[in-house]
Amino acid sequence: MQPTSELDRPELKARTFHCMGTVVSLTVPARTEDWTPAADAALAAATGVVEQLFRELDDRFSLYRHGSEASRLARGELSLREASQDFRNRYAEAAEWRLLTEGAFTPERPDGVPDLSGLVKGFAIKEAGAALQSLGLGDWCLNAGGDVLVAGSPIMGSRASWQAGIVDPQDRKTLIAAYPLGGGTGPGALATSGSAERGDHIWTSGAGISEFHQVSVAAADIVIADVLATAIVAGGIPMLNRATSGWDVEVLAIRNDGGILATAGFRG
Amino acid sequence: MRIRAVVSATLASVGILVAGWQSGTHVTTTSSAVGTAAGTNGTGSTGTGGGTAGSSGSTGSSASGSTGTSGSTGSTGSTGSTGAAATAGGTFAGSVVQTRFGPVQVQISVGSGKISEVTALQLTNEDRRSVQISNYAAPVLRSEVLQAQSANVQTVSGATVTSSAYLTSLQSALDAAHL
Repeated sequence: MQPTSELDRPELKARTFHCMGTVVSLTVPARTEDWTPAADAALAAATGVVEQLFRELDDRFSLYRHGSEASRLARGELSLREASQDFRNRYAEAAEWRLLTEGAFTPERPDGVPDLSGLVKGFAIKEAGAALQSLGLGDWCLNAGGDVLVAGSPIMGSRASWQAGIVDPQDRKTLIAAYPLGGGTGPGALATSGSAERGDHIWTSGAGISEFHQVSVAAADIVIADVLATAIVAGGIPMLNRATSGWDVEVLAIRNDGGILATAGFRG
Repeated sequence: MRIRAVVSATLASVGILVAGWQSGTHVTTTSSAVGTAAGTNGTGSTGTGGGTAGSSGSTGSSASGSTGTSGSTGSTGSTGSTGAAATAGGTFAGSVVQTRFGPVQVQISVGSGKISEVTALQLTNEDRRSVQISNYAAPVLRSEVLQAQSANVQTVSGATVTSSAYLTSLQSALDAAHL
């Protein structure tokens, strides 16, 4: 996990698409001398595979799509028992996370409507990562609206890690911290949740205002990182302590007053 | 449960041995080394910066007592001097304690009569759980977290941005640069 130095600044190529209300980027190392039309076509094809996977999940789970399975459930046109196997699997997974986080993460809106959007983006990233691996890609970085999963290195053939920056919630034009991802060792996933998202997909178990403005979690698995980041924003310090003692994760939590709490992996 | 009982029994007897050994060496320590400000004593624990000369040695053993196996052994006698050194402040390393996960050693920093910091000097990696003894989120200054400049990162993590907010985000700048 050596940092990428100034001398060998990675040369990269990226493709993006819009889905799940945000933008998804796929980035791969691309040395100019090696960047052939074939390599370009391979990146386009890989992006296409990822996009299709995201779209299928979005079609099924989005509450903002009138015809989605989630919307039909919300309107009572469909019961959970009649829902598809995919939907019930994700619901079961989310319900298990509710138990593991003692309610800090929940698969339901306060009005009782199943809302799996807190889980589905992470799940989509994870599935996309598996698809990229099966396509034979060894070095890539997938970023879906600020949640990141990487494999390999930004410099082909090296063990340099991908450097991820974490947005400063007070000033989104600047970074508050860095975190090395991948590079042969260490966790490959980093997810960030913010209390500004409350009302979007973070439902607190209590009615109080979250004590954290923003929480980032690094883990080997993007679903774990994503769910725990969401849970810590909702569940505060007790959930933060449960997360760091119960899972192999690194956490950077920013309080509403700007104070920072960090596990060893985030400390310089 | 049986293993646990055996371990407890073993630890207890080790404790008694240590107590005896400690009280033995303690006499030598006090008689020979009045000026041991560093506080080296029989338990192998070192205290640095402890203010009171002779007594800081036994303070060290008190710190080691609290780390685990030796339990309360040896600490009773030195409780009084703990207070004295604690007021003075300093850093005290406990002795290495064998746990079922492997060796563990803890250091405490004392200031104004309170423990201000507990640092793990040695933690075993044999078991994930024991690694996580040290994995808690501590308050840090902004300058203490890994620093990032947007020119040196390849991706950006933040709370979910909407498609429209993406256009002005750092990630969109990175993506644009790599088209």
